[in-house]
Amino acid sequence: MGKTLTIDSTLRCDVLVIGAGGAGLRAATAICEQIPAKKIIALTKLTSPQKSHTTTAQGGMAAVDPKDPIDRPIFHMFDTWKGSDCSADQNVIKKVCEMGWEEVVWLEKHGMHFSRTEEGRIAKRPFGGHMLNFGDTKAFRACYEADRTGKGIMDTVWSESLRYGVSFFGQCVATELLLKDGTCIGAVIFRYPEGKFLAILAKATIMATGGNTRMYQVSSNCRGNTGDGLALALNAGLPVMALEAVQFHPTGMVGPGILASEALRGEGAILRNKDEEPFMERYAPTAKDLAPRDLISRAVVQEMREGRGLFHEGHNAPHVWLDLRHLPKEVHEKKIQEVCSFFKRFVGVDPEKDLCPVTPTAHYQMGGIPTNEFGEVQSDTQSIVPGLFACGEVAAASLHGLNRLGTNSLLELITMGRVTGERVVEYLKDAKKPEDLPPDAEHIAFNQFSTYLNARGKEKYGQIRDTLRNLMMEKVGIFRTEESLVEAIESLRELKERAMHVAVGTTSLKANQDLWQIWELNNLITVSMVIAQGALMRQESRGGHFREDYPERSNEFNYHTLASMPEFDTVTFGKRPIDMSIFEAKGERFELFDYIKREY
Amino acid sequence: MSNSYTITLEINRYDPDTALSWIQTYKVTVGGMLRFVDVLRKINDEQDPTLAWASSCEHAQCGSCGISVNGKPLLACELLVKDAVEQFNTHTFRLRPLTIAPVLRDLVVDLEKAYDRVHKAKPYLIKPAPPQPDGDEYRISPETLETYSEATRCINCFCCATACISSHDHFLGPNVTMANIVRLMDQREMAKEERMDILYREDGVYRCHTARACSFVCPKDIDVSHFLALGKEGKF
Ligand SMILES: Cc1cc2nc3c(=O)[nH]c(=O)nc-3n(C[C@H](O)[C@H](O)[C@H](O)COP(=O)(O)OP(=O)(O)OC[C@H]3O[C@@H](n4cnc5c(N)ncnc54)[C@H](O)[C@@H]3O)c2cc1C
Ligand code: SF4
Ligand code: SF4
Ligand code: FES
Repeated sequence: MGKTLTIDSTLRCDVLVIGAGGAGLRAATAICEQIPAKKIIALTKLTSPQKSHTTTAQGGMAAVDPKDPIDRPIFHMFDTWKGSDCSADQNVIKKVCEMGWEEVVWLEKHGMHFSRTEEGRIAKRPFGGHMLNFGDTKAFRACYEADRTGKGIMDTVWSESLRYGVSFFGQCVATELLLKDGTCIGAVIFRYPEGKFLAILAKATIMATGGNTRMYQVSSNCRGNTGDGLALALNAGLPVMALEAVQFHPTGMVGPGILASEALRGEGAILRNKDEEPFMERYAPTAKDLAPRDLISRAVVQEMREGRGLFHEGHNAPHVWLDLRHLPKEVHEKKIQEVCSFFKRFVGVDPEKDLCPVTPTAHYQMGGIPTNEFGEVQSDTQSIVPGLFACGEVAAASLHGLNRLGTNSLLELITMGRVTGERVVEYLKDAKKPEDLPPDAEHIAFNQFSTYLNARGKEKYGQIRDTLRNLMMEKVGIFRTEESLVEAIESLRELKERAMHVAVGTTSLKANQDLWQIWELNNLITVSMVIAQGALMRQESRGGHFREDYPERSNEFNYHTLASMPEFDTVTFGKRPIDMSIFEAKGERFELFDYIKREY
Repeated sequence: MSNSYTITLEINRYDPDTALSWIQTYKVTVGGMLRFVDVLRKINDEQDPTLAWASSCEHAQCGSCGISVNGKPLLACELLVKDAVEQFNTHTFRLRPLTIAPVLRDLVVDLEKAYDRVHKAKPYLIKPAPPQPDGDEYRISPETLETYSEATRCINCFCCATACISSHDHFLGPNVTMANIVRLMDQREMAKEERMDILYREDGVYRCHTARACSFVCPKDIDVSHFLALGKEGKF
């Protein structure tokens, strides 16, 4: 039976942050600001938190200065509600939109290098779905650092955490949440370099593992965005919320799907079909190229389906054009420097002279681990899991409902990260030190890893990964039908079975990339199953979830889906009501916060 | 495939269990648009699942995938096969791990250790200037920002540090020194003296011989040595 897996050692801390990205480290700094002496451990799969995927975010972070003479937080709230296709929670929308500016100033005060106006103030640019006067005309609302806003944010929260002495544990994965009598007491982790398991016992644990769209063939996400956090929650018997809400960004670079930020269209870039027609004018007469992403992604696929797309020989893939040729040189060189260099390097086109080939790319998970407006993880609609918190892309509070507006995610990381951190501070006041683990405790990860290490089949990791990615793209992608989803679910069952028979390249535990990736693949399959089942269950179209057999939104589905998966492929569903508190408060223009029609 | 290439990779292998090192040769036929990370993935899928390499963002934004190709430190995720063939004028490539930190396996080095140096530069604001009275942001003109914003694009890939002719043991390295200089140029930083101490300490900026290898290899096209020169001249 090969190797016996054991917990090599047990560490203790006050707070364990699983996922040292933008959200996780904003939470950590919020805790340190109030109680600097606490011991915090922050985990990342990478060699440094600085390398977390937040660092790749390009376009900006939405925030309305309450002193702004033109823009107002309530416009932002309305846009977020409308953008979500009436499926976000209004208590969260209100909280996040009202906190936004304060957090921008926090970032700036802690050293972020925002781009500036001539007056030396933080510059702002327009973004999709963000408008003035309840949908009138585009708003300048996205604060940015050139086209590397995420890097500015990541560098700031990482270096602030460093200043406070947060312990970073890199090159590791959390493999299991430890729950005792319903309370979270930490996690088991696996260290890549030494191949050892450690138990980390903590009074409070924050899940902030980020996104998960690597199960799609074309994806803007990093290699490690494999849904680990969601799989950990599901394996611990906890529900996840609205995973069917996957966002496809309309402009991925043809090929792997590297993102070409919406900031490009914010600066004036135009989508064109093979006749070079600016086709968005037909689909969204007012917002045009700055309509929300779900709408534009469907329009792009529609153009391709009706024969107005193009085909890229080098990458063997369909695409449309993004036209940046008319933008001033100054914009190319200063405001969108990184993205222009990506086009040059990865696609071989020069955006100043050439049309750029783009295609929709799987970008963002709107759903996630359900939390209340304080970042406390819920086990059902009535109760929370003591000691467990979640924030960032892996969490669903829910600010985005079934569709997220661009620049609202970075906003969410920073605001909800802080809110969660502050809640943890409260929780720590009475939190008890967890008891030692019994030495003979069983661990999910031991089971998983010994299965992978002992498998002797003929299956190949790469083949299963590629089959999964094609399957999800084709059958659980931008357009879905009952037929495609039923087929996908059947294929996922087969893939899960096949994944059990992949013989690992080496059974060494040290820096074993193959073993690590097989573990990730299993997480991807787990999460894909919940996405597909949720999409099948939701017989309507709303936001990023589009069913060709149910093309309209339906009031019957005015709720968030809660899904649990006690065994692989047996998904059970619950419902969480949508918070309508802005509407119910009957304040200014409250009628717009009802289930309104969504047109752009 | 429109234009495919048959290339040979000679890769440094290292097995941490036996401490054995060797060079292994792989021959692959691939499309010219593939990145080196895609080629390594293809080798894993089709020839050898044990070959270890590192990456994350795979579009030159995180600095996880640095390796040396035919002696030049670069990002494996942004080197396309067709460009490599052209740039190095060969179909045979010698891949080695960066020399900046211990090798964990094959092409994977322990950058976590290399980051200890970055931490020494204290990349945060040590002592921030007092906030604006009205709770707003500081005022920084675009012209001032422009004098150092290039340096803030550094992704800590350590390619420059690998290329640097000054010794790794006695010099903090180009990227780390530059990170400190950024904060010296940042008007929001009040702790200038502490920063000068970091700049001019034993392993500080004077270890740099101004050979400009760093600027030459930087995948983000940052003129690193320009910033180090500012540091030497005390021009912030
Ligand atoms: C290319 C791109 C551009 C974007 N641009 C914008 C934009 O302009 N504006 C905007 O608002 N949003 C943007 N987004 C979305 C936004 O950047 C992400 O939603 C956000 O950065 C996620 O942050 P996070 O802190 O939740 O996760 P991340 O920053 O991804 O951090 C997650 C951390 O968790 C770690 N982790 C994961 N699994 C485990 C595990 N099992 N064990 C231990 N650690 C683990 C990871 O290693 C990482 O350190 C963009 C996204 C992409 C991909
Ligand atoms: S300066 Fe350039 S080469 Fe050096 S670490 Fe930064 S990005 Fe890499
Ligand atoms: S200029 Fe200085 S820092 Fe750059 S490579 Fe040469 S010695 Fe190293
Ligand atoms: S993988 Fe991120 S820079 Fe290459």
